[in-house]
Amino acid sequence: MKIKLFLLKTAALILMPAFFATAQSVPVQPDEISQSRAAEAWSKVYQVFSHPRCANCHVPDDNLPRWSGPSYGKTSVHGMNISGGQSRIGVETVMCSTCHAHSNSDEPHGPPGSPVWMLAPVEMLWWQQSSKQICEQIKDPTRNGGRTLEEVAHHIQEDELVHWGWDPGKGREPAPYSAKETADFVTLWANAGAPCPE
Amino acid sequence: MQINVNGTQHEVDVDEEMPLLWVLRDELNITGPKFGCGIAMCGACTVHINGQPARSCSMPVGQVSGLITTIEGLGTPDAMHEVQAAWVEHQVAQCGYCQPGQIMSAAALLQMNPNPDDEAIDHAMSANLCRCGTYPRIRAAIKAAAQNIREKSA
Amino acid sequence: MSTLGKITRRTFVIGSTAITGGVLFGVYKYKQPYPNPLEKNLAQGETALTPYVLINANGVTIIAPRAEMGQGVKTTLAALVAEELDIDVQNVRIEHGVPSNAYYNAAVLEEGVPFPPQDTSSTAQMARDFMHVPAKFFGVQVTGGSSSTVDAFEKMRMAGATAREALLLAASAKLNVAKNTLSTDNGEVISKDGQRIAYTELASLAASVELPDDVKLKPKSEWKQLGRPIPRVDMVEKCTGTATFGIDVLQKDMLYATIKVNPHLGAKCHAFDTNNAANMKGVKAILPLADVGAAVVATNTWYAFKAAEKIDFDWAKTQYAQSTDELFESAIAAFNEEHQDSQNRDDGDVDAVIGAAGDATIHREYRAPLLAHATMEPMNATAIMKDGQLDVWVGTQMPTYALSEAARVSGIEAQNIRIHTTYLGGGFGRRLEMDFIVYAVMVAKQLEGTPVKVTWSREEDMTHDSYRPFAVARFEGVTQGKNITALDVKVSSPSVMESQMGRLGVSLPGPDSTIVQALWDQAYTIENYRVTGYRVPMGIPVSSWRSVGASQNGFFNESMIDELAIEANADPIEMRLSLITHQPTRNVLEAVANMANWGSDVAENHGLGVALVTSFGVPVAEIVEVVNTPRGIKILNVYVAADVGLAIDSRNIEAQLISAVNFGLAGAMMGEITLLDGKVQQTNFHNYDAIRMHQAPVIHTKILENGERIRGIGEPGTPPAAPALANAIFAATGLRMREMPFNKHIQFV
Repeated sequence: MKIKLFLLKTAALILMPAFFATAQSVPVQPDEISQSRAAEAWSKVYQVFSHPRCANCHVPDDNLPRWSGPSYGKTSVHGMNISGGQSRIGVETVMCSTCHAHSNSDEPHGPPGSPVWMLAPVEMLWWQQSSKQICEQIKDPTRNGGRTLEEVAHHIQEDELVHWGWDPGKGREPAPYSAKETADFVTLWANAGAPCPE
Repeated sequence: MQINVNGTQHEVDVDEEMPLLWVLRDELNITGPKFGCGIAMCGACTVHINGQPARSCSMPVGQVSGLITTIEGLGTPDAMHEVQAAWVEHQVAQCGYCQPGQIMSAAALLQMNPNPDDEAIDHAMSANLCRCGTYPRIRAAIKAAAQNIREKSA
Repeated sequence: MSTLGKITRRTFVIGSTAITGGVLFGVYKYKQPYPNPLEKNLAQGETALTPYVLINANGVTIIAPRAEMGQGVKTTLAALVAEELDIDVQNVRIEHGVPSNAYYNAAVLEEGVPFPPQDTSSTAQMARDFMHVPAKFFGVQVTGGSSSTVDAFEKMRMAGATAREALLLAASAKLNVAKNTLSTDNGEVISKDGQRIAYTELASLAASVELPDDVKLKPKSEWKQLGRPIPRVDMVEKCTGTATFGIDVLQKDMLYATIKVNPHLGAKCHAFDTNNAANMKGVKAILPLADVGAAVVATNTWYAFKAAEKIDFDWAKTQYAQSTDELFESAIAAFNEEHQDSQNRDDGDVDAVIGAAGDATIHREYRAPLLAHATMEPMNATAIMKDGQLDVWVGTQMPTYALSEAARVSGIEAQNIRIHTTYLGGGFGRRLEMDFIVYAVMVAKQLEGTPVKVTWSREEDMTHDSYRPFAVARFEGVTQGKNITALDVKVSSPSVMESQMGRLGVSLPGPDSTIVQALWDQAYTIENYRVTGYRVPMGIPVSSWRSVGASQNGFFNESMIDELAIEANADPIEMRLSLITHQPTRNVLEAVANMANWGSDVAENHGLGVALVTSFGVPVAEIVEVVNTPRGIKILNVYVAADVGLAIDSRNIEAQLISAVNFGLAGAMMGEITLLDGKVQQTNFHNYDAIRMHQAPVIHTKILENGERIRGIGEPGTPPAAPALANAIFAATGLRMREMPFNKHIQFV
């Protein structure tokens, strides 16, 4: 039994990239069970991406970070007239790193931090976007940093600023699940053909 | 650990999490940068790290690397920076407590943007709070300093 | 004409203003000057000429004994002396000096008289002058009430002139020439034949001169320094980080401390547990703070902050209002005869006119919340108690009380205590309180021999203020045509005086005029006009906040007047002018109308609002211009006209007006202190913010000098800001703000 499992796992590992490759080049014919599992996986990914810890910085071309979530009460743009500017890192205005250090502030209501702190690129808009809209964006190489979906999953798993979403410091509700689980949801969903909701 | 402040190397023995502000004020007796809030919402603690503005109340000293400049290093009464000279010319300060932070933010702004318009000033300076409301004179002094600096380098 | 050899007299007689009524308090006793505090600590070769002038071989020192908190008083007061002394104020050393009854503030009580400021009859003027008598007997050295320049104007010029006379007498003796052949210029006495002797060289000789008491002051036309902008003497240090605020004081081997006091303000601390805090890095000691909390002493303020967070406290609760709703309920519950505090105005027959008007009467209710002072520099003080001596370094607005409180708490006699008054990183009335001084002395006492700087966290500062009171105002008004025929005003709030003076152990009898300040004493003549104040029983600590009662009452009154004008289809400015005969007040209103082009077409979505409030004797009119954008209200311009009677330094006055306007706008837009479970909810600038660069409007100022006497300007620019903004918002949107802060109902961009 153990050997069978081992072989299955190995086969899966060997074959998975193949699935991704096929996902990019040839439309997959997903079966019905896969489709509902894929939809479920995507909805979890959407829960993460639309969560304030992520969406607050995946903002439109007004370049204004948002303050939203249970700890803020009402939703607003970042206080003190802070704007990320076109650079998305505050070069034209005030550098994000002026206040945001490499780690979260220990003080209640102090600034969160991460080794890198900046707005997501403008094309990676998630703020007030629907599940369908984010789904289409994440699959579009012109809007996801030129990534394959495997690379997207990898990015979620490895990137320090992305990780901050699950370790946002005192008083802030973390994004749901974890970086690894979210990467796995992306992988599963991608394997099933990355279907977007209607 | 070692830190470099205003050109001088210092050895400090403190918790790595201690904010730079308190290392400066209480360990090194450099009291130009001020304590106003401790959560980067007032800007009174603003210093430069490698020329970039930083709210020293929210920078753990263990994360700081590079050259730190405080208001004292920007200029002295006998050798003021152009921004400080413009501040004096325009009689900007009232109580004066927020002004070291305002000046450090303004000096950093002018490094990046030698000719800031009102919108740029609004974006760069609104994180520096002044309870005395000296904003109109801060704005005028920034523009005057910008002009002086441009003329000097012309 | 040598005057040497006469019995020297080192004291200084108060100015020669005739005081009638002083007989009640003993004219002789009143005329006795306080001893000169400079005499006690004269160094070798130092001479004190009046309590305000100190000269030694190195130079001239002027004592400017008021708190420098940004209002420029260090410069202005020193300039008053320097002008008469004939020395450039930029060339003298200026010190705050020791706390002393000799530096008492005579003018601060002036506007507490039962006469509105527009009343300049001889009776009213006598009453104001008369207030100098109890002021002197209280001997309180206080910076507040927009009174420093008013108080110093004659007194300190007299000091300068007296010192100059003494120097001339000394020079006359030294040169053996007649005094009337000598003149002075920029720190030197000059003889007819061109000899110049510096004041520093004459100091010791002047010490043995009898100070004259009949000196004449320069006429305004001869002023070389006063009457024009004077560069502030503290400006360079404040722009280079070299100015010492209380929080910057450094002493050898100093430790750093912070405090935690019961957030149920006024209630005790049952007990505290230091198990999780005592062994934290840098902690030297955790000490009890009487029965109200604890102090952590450490090698660094941040270590103290961190350890303080880990102390477990068992706090007692308070018995007064525990929530914001309960606060306002307590105000409403005080609108009855039992709680009536004053009725400073009752002209005509308000009840009859309102009765006759019936349903046509306009009823309005307005509210204002508690507000924190939120000075940029959090509360702090540094102290050392050693060998029966106590030194305290602190930014305080009340040095003589600081001294007596330090004595009370330490058990050390006042003569062995030195209070060193530093710069204040903002006062606004907060630094009238004694708590931060008391706590620092308590800590120093337990650390005998070691200096300690006690710094409050911003959270402790925000939640342990003595707040601007909450208030509810109820108006009933009747208009006829474009006229207001009746106005009944009822306002209910806790008493600032009862709370503030109570903390100093002083019980003041009688009503608290700050409850009705700016309601009963305005320039409006309305035939049937009644103003009644109601006092809410003491609860949460309240205190003087920049412009005191006028800060909330200005909003109430000027909103109501505006609502009545609009109901009557009258232009708000014309309506106000029709009610005012006092010319200087009319002038500020007309001036601001001119500045704002009032009456000309207003652009779409723009709105102009006007307000006129007289406080501390200064009429100030403001017009605010807003634009209603899709994202919210933007404040574009504020026009301010103020009459200060006599402008000594127009640039400084303009700075004060700009400051006061921004301060008032911040409170109106976003200031609110709320209570939950008996504790203040706001802890830092994230939930108690103030106006910032991007929201600050362009402010246009005009200074008028029609008033009858010189006035101060620290506060009067604040009260009109909120109502002018509310009136502008109404003009632009049709939305009427009846409670502050306005961001409860609208957005500001």
